Amino acid sequence: MKNETLILLTVFVPVLGSFLLPLIGKISETTRNLCALIFVLVSLICSFLLLPTVMRGETISALYVQAVNMNYFYADSLAVFMAIVSSLVGAIIVLYSFGYISHYEHRNEYYFMVVLFLGSMMGIVYSRNLISIYVFWEITALACWRLIGFFRERTYVLRADKAFLVTVFGALMMLIGFLNIYGTAGSFDLGVISKSHVSNLAVLFIMFGILSKSATLPLHTWLPDAGVAPSPVTALLHAAVLVKIGVYVFARLFVVTIPLDEMWHTIIPIIAAVSALVSAGAALIDTDMKRIIAYSTVSQIGFIFLGLSIGNDVALAGGLLYILMHGLSKAALFLCAGIIEQATHTKDITKMGGLIKTMPVTAISFLICAFSVMGIPPLGGFFAKYLVINGAFKSGQTTISFVFLFGAVLTIIYLFRLFILIFMGHSKVEHPEKEGTPVMLISVATLAVLSILGGIFINYPAEVVMTTVQQIMGVVR
Amino acid sequence: MALLLILIPLASIILLNIGFKNAMTKLAIWLSLAVSAWQVAMIIFKVGFDSLNLVNVFNLEIDGLSSVLLLSIGIVAFCSILVGNGTICCPKKKFNFYNLILLSIIGMNGIVMVRDLFSMYVFLEITAVSAFILIAYQEDKFSMEGSFKYLVLSAVATVMMLSSIAILLMYAGNTSFVMVRDAVQGMNSPLVLTAIALFVVGLLIKGGLVPFHGWLPDAYTSAPASVSAFIAGIVTKTTGIYTMIRIVSEVFGFSETIKMILMIVGLISIFVGALAALGQNDFKRMLAYSSISQVGYIILSLGTGTALGVAGAVFHLFNHSIFKTQLFINSAAVEKQTGTRDMDSMSGLSNVMPVTGWTSVVAFLSTAGIPPLSGFWSKLIIVIALWKAGYYWFAGLAIIGSLITLAYFLYMQRRVFFGKINVNFKDIKEAGASIIIPAIILAAITLGVGIFFPYFINTIIVPVSSVF
Repeated sequence: MKNETLILLTVFVPVLGSFLLPLIGKISETTRNLCALIFVLVSLICSFLLLPTVMRGETISALYVQAVNMNYFYADSLAVFMAIVSSLVGAIIVLYSFGYISHYEHRNEYYFMVVLFLGSMMGIVYSRNLISIYVFWEITALACWRLIGFFRERTYVLRADKAFLVTVFGALMMLIGFLNIYGTAGSFDLGVISKSHVSNLAVLFIMFGILSKSATLPLHTWLPDAGVAPSPVTALLHAAVLVKIGVYVFARLFVVTIPLDEMWHTIIPIIAAVSALVSAGAALIDTDMKRIIAYSTVSQIGFIFLGLSIGNDVALAGGLLYILMHGLSKAALFLCAGIIEQATHTKDITKMGGLIKTMPVTAISFLICAFSVMGIPPLGGFFAKYLVINGAFKSGQTTISFVFLFGAVLTIIYLFRLFILIFMGHSKVEHPEKEGTPVMLISVATLAVLSILGGIFINYPAEVVMTTVQQIMGVVR
Repeated sequence: MALLLILIPLASIILLNIGFKNAMTKLAIWLSLAVSAWQVAMIIFKVGFDSLNLVNVFNLEIDGLSSVLLLSIGIVAFCSILVGNGTICCPKKKFNFYNLILLSIIGMNGIVMVRDLFSMYVFLEITAVSAFILIAYQEDKFSMEGSFKYLVLSAVATVMMLSSIAILLMYAGNTSFVMVRDAVQGMNSPLVLTAIALFVVGLLIKGGLVPFHGWLPDAYTSAPASVSAFIAGIVTKTTGIYTMIRIVSEVFGFSETIKMILMIVGLISIFVGALAALGQNDFKRMLAYSSISQVGYIILSLGTGTALGVAGAVFHLFNHSIFKTQLFINSAAVEKQTGTRDMDSMSGLSNVMPVTGWTSVVAFLSTAGIPPLSGFWSKLIIVIALWKAGYYWFAGLAIIGSLITLAYFLYMQRRVFFGKINVNFKDIKEAGASIIIPAIILAAITLGVGIFFPYFINTIIVPVSSVF
């Protein structure tokens, strides 16, 4: 198959397919579930098929539109890497949903929105111009709104509205930034933009959008609140896709396309550092299991931003690896939280304890993934964290590097606290139920195994990442 | 062809009223649906566009701008007739309703095709008269009040426009657009400036822009459901907004003063409308204020005076007539099934009325300018036009206005559709087919225009902007 076709399939099979899911669901639930999984797998497989081409250092453009004189889609190794990460995690989350969501109402809407969401993510990843980024960006916000308010409780809907408004506010600011770029470069096409100078004002506006989407201070408040969504959705939002959109667009615009001014290499790490510390502190004191994991996400995103913004190849490679490793393990943590929540009917960690006896698979998967997030060797998370902090030291920003080291220590503390309160000690739950359905356990275990394999066979993802870094450094220099 | 767009609805009205009362009462709906559907088909397939301009009585012309409007008139009329069929009770009232809709189709088709100030005034009056009766249709205190307010302010506007036309006639010796333009442009006499100001203010009243918007929420709210959809969707847009676009861009020209007035009025309307919408509990009243706010975008865009700005205004006008009609139809469905318009007393209606719920989501996202729906593209064009013309602050404020739009619509969704179902409304059903079908048609148009935007940019935007 031609590479252009592969890109189009990656994006449009899930986006258009999602509209069919409610219709299929009216006929057969099982068929709908399988279709949802297949649509996401199509993205994954097509992206894998693109891998050999981009690994040779080639790029692919697709869907040239005459009317506006722009290419819509484009693939380089960064895009393919990102697409593989998010569709892989996305596919596992869809699989997990088979078990989790089966006894709630509005299942048709659920699969519709989840697949639309993942499809739009693919759209952002392969976008070649700012308008197309913006379009898919807002579609994800819309899907998010429906998914966070999924249980229809009044406060939940309120929080869904909050998330929607905050991200749309960011997006509109970003749009102003895009217009500013359009004003100077005369085009929305990234290829054209990369040749012209972009003002710091535009960068500032676009940063609003990125920070709101990736839930970094000061626009992070919606993310912990979004924990009211069904657990697979929070996994999707916090771990695999939504927050990574912000990170990806940052990489796409400010690492690959537009060389940033020197001052941003200091400002963004500082924002990231504050964000990492404050949210780590919040994670230390909260008692709601999902909020703790959510704050942990906000904190870890800080590490990714540090890696991407500090401006040398080691940190950049670390940041990209971080996206993969954090996606895998954080998704697993949320999915474990979902299993625990369904078994104990609470999210308050002070009311749990001793659950390792009744749910061993969940507990072990949780521990492995928590280790990976903490950065304990030989798990995948270790390499990512090591490279990021190593890169930060190399660039000479010693203070920032120590702050992040401290952040890493905090990560270890709050994740251990979480694990011990949930799984160790005496059980405070009256009649703990069994673990979730087999599909849910398989999904969680798969993610845990992938976290281990990611560490042991680090050379495979590292190869892709190194190619990407070489390409990026080649373009920017 | 241009004349047919007036003659055929006229012939239909005559046919419906020559006698055979019983037969005609049954025929009325089909005939009026056929007329509006025919109009849509004529515009889409461009049947006999250049030929058949035989009788030049009113000097009729159809250009890109007119055809966009003719298209929306056809679509909105078609949908309103269907909704009227589903909501109006007795056959006699239905019959009158169809006749009045046909009458205002004549008026609006005339407005968008004439090239002469005085003929435009005549058709404005035809449209206005049918609109007054349509609003007062329920014959209760509130609808009388709404209609009366509209009547009085409309009369004021008419007087202003008519005196303005008189002054312009004095200078130009004729009232055709071309003659008046040649006489007026570049002229600084105080009398001409007064005439221009009178005309523009008259149109602002007609269009319901802040600070002349007092009549609009009452008129929209007190009218029956199908009428609100029709009036809000197309009547005020044609009588106030289209006329403004046409007159300012083709006759008076974009002087700095006019540009500034339009942009400031537009911006104030955006914010006043949006903030007022945020505070409403009545579903239709909220939509009415939202309408003021969206019209503000159209006028703001027109105020740039550039080809792109005018194109954005026209495109947003089209989109607005589609999605606002749809929202009024959704409110009609809700009102019919629950018997109330108070948003606080509803909740979670999406659970029992899924089609209404989802189509309203499409419409409100389009209004708020969320891609990939049609409203996003028109707002994007508007903002780009403002940016290119150098009005950075206006562009930024217009974008903030979008955020408020999203906020009040999310508030509406939370209270009406999204959420747990209110126990009182647990057993209600989806509204009947004649309300659902137009809602689906309009949602499909919104979605379709949004997704196939590159095609529409060539068929709608380019022809419109090439006019100037």
